[in-house]
Amino acid sequence: MKGYAKYFGGKMTWILITFIAAFLLNFILPRLMPGDPVAVITQRVAQGMDSQAGVQRVYEQYTELFGTNKPIHEQFILYVKNVLQGDFGTSFSQYPRPVADIINSAIWWTVGLQLPAIVVGWLIGNVLGVLAAYLRGGYDKVVMPASIFVSSLPAFGMAVILLVIFGIKLGWFPTSGGYGYDMIPSFSWAFIWSVFVHYQLPFWSIVLIIIGGQAIGMRSMAIYELNADYVKFSRFMGIKDRKIIRYVFRNAMLPQITGLALAIGTIVGGALVAEIIFSYPGLGSTLLTAVRGQDYPLIQASTLIITLMVLITTFTIEIFYGVIDPRIKAAQAD
Amino acid sequence: MKHTLQQVFSSPRFVVGFSIFMFIVLTVIIYPLFVRADPLEIIGEGTFFEPGVYVSVYDSIGSSPYTLKLDDAAANRIAGKLGDEERLAMQEWLVAYGIPENEIDIQDTEKLLDQWVNNYDPTEKIEGMTNAERRYFQRLDESLKGVLATEGVTIAVENTETGTLEEVDSVEQTDYVNISQVPNVRVLPLGTDNFGRDVLTELVSATGTSLKIGLVAGLVATTIGLILGLLAGYIGGLVDDVIMFVTNIFTVIPTFVLLILVTFSVGQEYRGAMTIAVLIGLTSWVWTTRAVRAQVISLRNRDHVNLSKLSGHSTTRIILLSILPFIASYVVMALILQISTAILAEAGLSILGLGPRTTEVPTLGLMMNWAMIYSAHLMGRWWAYFPVLLVIALIAFSLNLMNTGLDQVFNPALRE
Amino acid sequence: MENVILEVNDLTTKYITRYDEDIYAVDHVSLKVEETKSLGIAGESGCGKSTLALSLMGYYFPPLHYTEGEIIIDRRNISGMDPDEIRKSILGREIAYIPQSAMNALNPTRKIINFIEDVIQAHDMYVNKKEIYERASGLFETLGLPAEVLQKYPVELSGGMKQRTVIAISVILFPKVLIADEPSSALDVTSQKMVIKMLKQLLETGFISSLIFITHELPLLYNVTDDIMVMYAGQIVEQANAKEAVFDPLHPYAKGLMGSIIVPESGLRDVKLTSIPGVPPNLKNPPSGCQFAERCKYVRPVCKAMSIDLRDLVDGRAYRCIIPEDELRDLYQKEADQNAR
Repeated sequence: MKGYAKYFGGKMTWILITFIAAFLLNFILPRLMPGDPVAVITQRVAQGMDSQAGVQRVYEQYTELFGTNKPIHEQFILYVKNVLQGDFGTSFSQYPRPVADIINSAIWWTVGLQLPAIVVGWLIGNVLGVLAAYLRGGYDKVVMPASIFVSSLPAFGMAVILLVIFGIKLGWFPTSGGYGYDMIPSFSWAFIWSVFVHYQLPFWSIVLIIIGGQAIGMRSMAIYELNADYVKFSRFMGIKDRKIIRYVFRNAMLPQITGLALAIGTIVGGALVAEIIFSYPGLGSTLLTAVRGQDYPLIQASTLIITLMVLITTFTIEIFYGVIDPRIKAAQAD
Repeated sequence: MKHTLQQVFSSPRFVVGFSIFMFIVLTVIIYPLFVRADPLEIIGEGTFFEPGVYVSVYDSIGSSPYTLKLDDAAANRIAGKLGDEERLAMQEWLVAYGIPENEIDIQDTEKLLDQWVNNYDPTEKIEGMTNAERRYFQRLDESLKGVLATEGVTIAVENTETGTLEEVDSVEQTDYVNISQVPNVRVLPLGTDNFGRDVLTELVSATGTSLKIGLVAGLVATTIGLILGLLAGYIGGLVDDVIMFVTNIFTVIPTFVLLILVTFSVGQEYRGAMTIAVLIGLTSWVWTTRAVRAQVISLRNRDHVNLSKLSGHSTTRIILLSILPFIASYVVMALILQISTAILAEAGLSILGLGPRTTEVPTLGLMMNWAMIYSAHLMGRWWAYFPVLLVIALIAFSLNLMNTGLDQVFNPALRE
Repeated sequence: MENVILEVNDLTTKYITRYDEDIYAVDHVSLKVEETKSLGIAGESGCGKSTLALSLMGYYFPPLHYTEGEIIIDRRNISGMDPDEIRKSILGREIAYIPQSAMNALNPTRKIINFIEDVIQAHDMYVNKKEIYERASGLFETLGLPAEVLQKYPVELSGGMKQRTVIAISVILFPKVLIADEPSSALDVTSQKMVIKMLKQLLETGFISSLIFITHELPLLYNVTDDIMVMYAGQIVEQANAKEAVFDPLHPYAKGLMGSIIVPESGLRDVKLTSIPGVPPNLKNPPSGCQFAERCKYVRPVCKAMSIDLRDLVDGRAYRCIIPEDELRDLYQKEADQNAR
């Protein structure tokens, strides 16, 4: 385990630095926006107010509330302090609901949808890739072109297709929301079933897209591995093909895991858009309403949380990789 | 060079991808030469007109009619009025009235009508029928009466002085007009969208814009990636460390998130199509930088490079002459990939509402966005979103194919 | 005569390219190896020696296909056997193969001992892990490899050690025939020596009953194998015992190979190095007649006209040339005299 300490430590430091950079970017970019968001809200809120002084007072109140009257470094310190306490400010578009509250209700939907979808999609995609490489022939001729096509589809494209075919034409699944409109979140079977049914289409959209991407990559890796010397030697020592496929899968999987870590950002981005198509109550829809409502505390918090989630996932994947690739352990040992 | 081109064009994947892509590009270029309409022109009042040929009724009346005696004209007319719903309703009433079910064939229009005409009685009180249902059947009967009539229709125009209607023309059931003689016919192969715009024309224009955005974004991203990769790879040392540090940060921060932040910050005012393109380019250079850097590193210790160094050539010259030509194939592939990603990124942004301003030009993403907002997919108005999706997928697919083909040409190991 | 452990008769195998062309990489090869003896197979790259090795295993994968011939191991004819049967009872047990650059033959993500377990289990030998470990460590120690190696991953071993580990694993089931394909080519001189010593030890101690050593370095075989076979363009062109093959080669090609070698001895300065001009024929379109005719110094019109058979001499010696023995020796002598001047 000692060898790992160095590896972990390095990765940890790295993640921290990246997060700080992301945090800074996240803070600065919206504030570079020309125009004054407070003026926009004031205008909206103060519609119908006649007295100029009244409007002015509303404006001042909001400025005070949102802290836009302070110099930027003070704003930053205030922001950091608030964030550490879990306070992300108040939403503009859903005033007076606190941003943290909005995010909190949305984040679990997103995690619950995307995490299993990514894992399942990755597994199925890679298995298909190995099979295509091993079986070749007809199987390969079907899997390959299908994968190329599916991987060219943007995530929302798949979402729309599934929605139209299974949600509308066939009517098998509901087309929007996380659960039925008439349901109140509770632990009843009816509610759980409703959630399950609403889960299907978004889930499978994401899974299919990931399968498309993974299958191609894995197939190339597997073909490469199948021609490796150790496969020949194992064969000539009489080892069954089934076992050899397991060897190949294990070895080809490693670069795929690294690839996944690099691609997580894009995958999550695509999945968020898919969520929007289904009006799924996750961070995707939150982001959408935030953008539409010019709600920059909410946008800021959403992007920060998304970045954090991706960072944590990347980190976890890299740690996982370090554990299962014996070469890493060996390299650390000396 | 010629040899490379030969190889490239003999790769089946590349050729297929290239053909599809070129087809799309040519359509974008040639179509506007024939159809001069403004893509953003709102021509339909109302939303989502179905695809079809739209003939001006007014002008049809004015054109010289031709008499055609067609056997099935009457049946077609009736069949047009009698959808499945109506037929089932009629069957329902007849059964309730007492006609045995097995004598009713809802597909046999003539017989069904016959039975209806002979049996329907608006005064008949059927068990368990609500008032609303009764009135439905009355209305159905009324509309059918009109259909069964054989006289023509009279066109009357109001006399501005006397206020009375004066007969101007009459239209017989056997009157037909030749569409090519009608002055105002508009073919809408893809109907109209939610605003009332011709979807096909809009689509072609949107494709053009999206392609332009993709191209610009791709070029920006590839250029940045190329320069950074070359510098990091060839010069190495501190320059490399700094560039890699920045690159790594940008790898982990989801590009999409960054794009959202940036486009949002830029604000509604400045979001033109080209601005978006540049922004996309500025946030997606990461992959190219890495790839170029890796290639350059493997090249920089090759003999010809060392020879150049020994000859005292300047760094710029070495990079341009000894390294660039060797990574050219990668750069081309990277460019294609970036274009493809950029088009998809623009679509994603537009769906979020952060795309280019909506008033100037349409883009593929914007068309998707409008379709989504106006629930086209939920209402079955497939023409508003499906062609757009298809075009997006085809563009991405053809570019991907081209790339895979190129990959096989440049990396013989991948050839099957 | 000692027990013939491996007998091959007229073995012919071919590659089918994706354009449906047949390439006969092994063309009617026959050989015999007796118990406790070793056979060296020499030839340049592409002559078919590796394909021959693969063909001997009896386990064919596209694009390699078996055409005709017999392979008899310890009186058991394995040619034409069901592939699964071959996998279970022949591969590794009757005949084992050590691939070229054996260092890469180990699965990077599997511990050595785990791989050995896989091998043993694949042969339906239900031995428990403890016994496997004992057997493996016993074998390794005997062959001069520390038992710790078993617990390591391939990445933790040096090149030479990996090579020897692969050799050790290949004999874990005590096969009757061991084929070593260029076992020493990728190594430094010291490791080369260790590998050769290990192979000889295996034969002497009876772990294996016979050894086939494939190489492109002909002179190496002199100190290693009892008999030597020279291959060219998929055919055997010379077969003799080690001494004869090295000091009295008959076939012009074999003679040419020996002539291109520097032997440190007196009079070296005066000996001219000869090389064989030209390249081996393209096996896709083999020329009619003698395959070597293009490059042969002593070629005659008849050589290109008809295919040449292997000419058998006494004591299992054979060579493939139309020119009789004595005449060849005369020609060689004349040549040597000319060069000496």
